[in-house]
Amino acid sequence: MNPDAVEENQEEGNILVWLTGLAFLAAMIAIFIYVPTERTEGVIQRIMYFHVPSAWLSFFAFFVVFICSILFLWKKEREWDIYAQASAEIGVIFCSLVLVTGPIWARPIWGAWWVWDARLTSTLILWIIYVAYLMLRTQCDAGSMRARYAAVLGIVGFLNIPFIHFSVLWWRTFHPQPKVITNEGIGKGMDPTMLATLGVSLCAFTLLYFLLMGVRVRQENLKDEIDRLKKEKLYSS
Amino acid sequence: MDNLGFLFAANVVVWGGIIYYVYTIRQRNRALEKDLELLKETLNRKG
Repeated sequence: MNPDAVEENQEEGNILVWLTGLAFLAAMIAIFIYVPTERTEGVIQRIMYFHVPSAWLSFFAFFVVFICSILFLWKKEREWDIYAQASAEIGVIFCSLVLVTGPIWARPIWGAWWVWDARLTSTLILWIIYVAYLMLRTQCDAGSMRARYAAVLGIVGFLNIPFIHFSVLWWRTFHPQPKVITNEGIGKGMDPTMLATLGVSLCAFTLLYFLLMGVRVRQENLKDEIDRLKKEKLYSS
Repeated sequence: MDNLGFLFAANVVVWGGIIYYVYTIRQRNRALEKDLELLKETLNRKG
């Protein structure tokens, strides 16, 4: 890689680190100082500002897996496989956070840590699918077949997401119905200060996604390069 | 309703999760750097 390009990449990375840090600082101020306490649920409702952005980030990450997997199957370029792998890993981390913060929020409100309703169960299934996706990548030998199997699983797994979104509308569930995107429009069902706080938190989590993606993609590229050099050395000796 | 303990727990989980993931990325980076150094040394010795 050209040294100028490396320097430019590092500079862009540093800007993104600062932007993400500032966005999280703003989000923390908004969550714990700016936004008023919700009347019926009390302070526990503030978990929403972590829970919803984590869910958004994981769904977005799995959407990237879906797109990159299609592109990989179509173009057979390793680059798309790397993007899909990195995004799946981030998606699983944040989906895990959704599955942990949800029950912490549910316990004082519903009186139970977990209920097998459509939204919770389908989110758990989504998590299991992408954990299986990551396990498949570590268990199979490196090569195009591994990438191909993973791409198929990455595409199939994403088909669960519309089901998760509509599950609260199709069935009667414990999980509340969407408040941000409703039939009346975006954010119509929420207080403006709550919507603004959620917006800042969503921005912070989205920036974190791009930051983590950048690092993981660079890491996978470097790993490929090392493997290539090792193979060259093996054949030359 | 006072559920500060639950809010605190959720915060710890989210920040803990993010910090742990960043830590694992750092560890993998270190392993890669070590690998690269070893490779460079071997190539230089052959060189």
